[in-house]
Amino acid sequence: MSRFVHVIYIRTTPEKLWDALTKPEFTRAYWCATWQECDWEAGSAWRLMIPDGRIGDSGEVVEIDRPRRLVLTWRNEFLPELRAEGYSRATFEIEQVGDTVKLTVTHEMDRDDSKLIDGVSNGWPAILSSLKSLLETGTALAVTSRWPDNV
Amino acid sequence: MTEMTTESTVYVTYIATTPERLWAALTSSEFTTRYFFGRTVESDWKTGSPWLLRMPNGRVDVKGEVRESDPPRKLVVSWNIDWGAEKLPEAVVSYEIETVGGGVVRLTMTESHPTPIPAALLEGGRKGWPMILSGLKTLLETGKPLGIPVPQPPKERGK
Repeated sequence: MSRFVHVIYIRTTPEKLWDALTKPEFTRAYWCATWQECDWEAGSAWRLMIPDGRIGDSGEVVEIDRPRRLVLTWRNEFLPELRAEGYSRATFEIEQVGDTVKLTVTHEMDRDDSKLIDGVSNGWPAILSSLKSLLETGTALAVTSRWPDNV
Repeated sequence: MTEMTTESTVYVTYIATTPERLWAALTSSEFTTRYFFGRTVESDWKTGSPWLLRMPNGRVDVKGEVRESDPPRKLVVSWNIDWGAEKLPEAVVSYEIETVGGGVVRLTMTESHPTPIPAALLEGGRKGWPMILSGLKTLLETGKPLGIPVPQPPKERGK
């Protein structure tokens, strides 16, 4: 088993955080200019789209309980070595804590030393830091505002 | 039997600030009282000097020694918790500050355990650091504290 967990507290509401995690107008700002294609129903297909038109990752919605919990299966689609690892699972949990909202992202795969989990372990802290900045200040971090060159 | 562990905890966050401001936020009470559950911090931050964290009621619950101090890039401190009930093994906490461009700084906090500790204590740290460092980021980016309710230390009994 490979697992990455990141917890971050954000001054926002569960509903705003849910929208920021799922709607293209938000994700383009803080998630490296990507957006998701999904109708957000349990069992529906889910895709993360890269600005140049490639599919970055894909899977399906396993569980959805707006604005509290979202579980996705998640396979990389654009790097053959990662795609070969098959499906991982990403869980987003949202809880109100006082005037803030606690977001827990758990990304795991049923194999040891997963390269996908290693990769997302580097990516999530930057993306979630940028999401927090966007919701609290109105501006995402420059470091995640565009898709990286040569990836 | 209590399960023991030497696992580390690593927390990475990206903050729109400068390395100098982040260093100041980690080392001066003017900042720490607004994100570190009300605690002040005391040290001259020279390698080999003592440092401590003082609770709002005056009690010192964490103290240790500055192991490495390279402002504004790296700070390593030993970490001895006094919650009254029992003596816990010394941990080491390091903060690494790197500029990543676009006015953004990456902070990497690593809590390591040269001596095994109870797994429950490791879990305590893993709950606490995201609160503290989320609050630090909010304070530096908005000028206001985040205002997470203060969790109570698990072993306050006997004092």
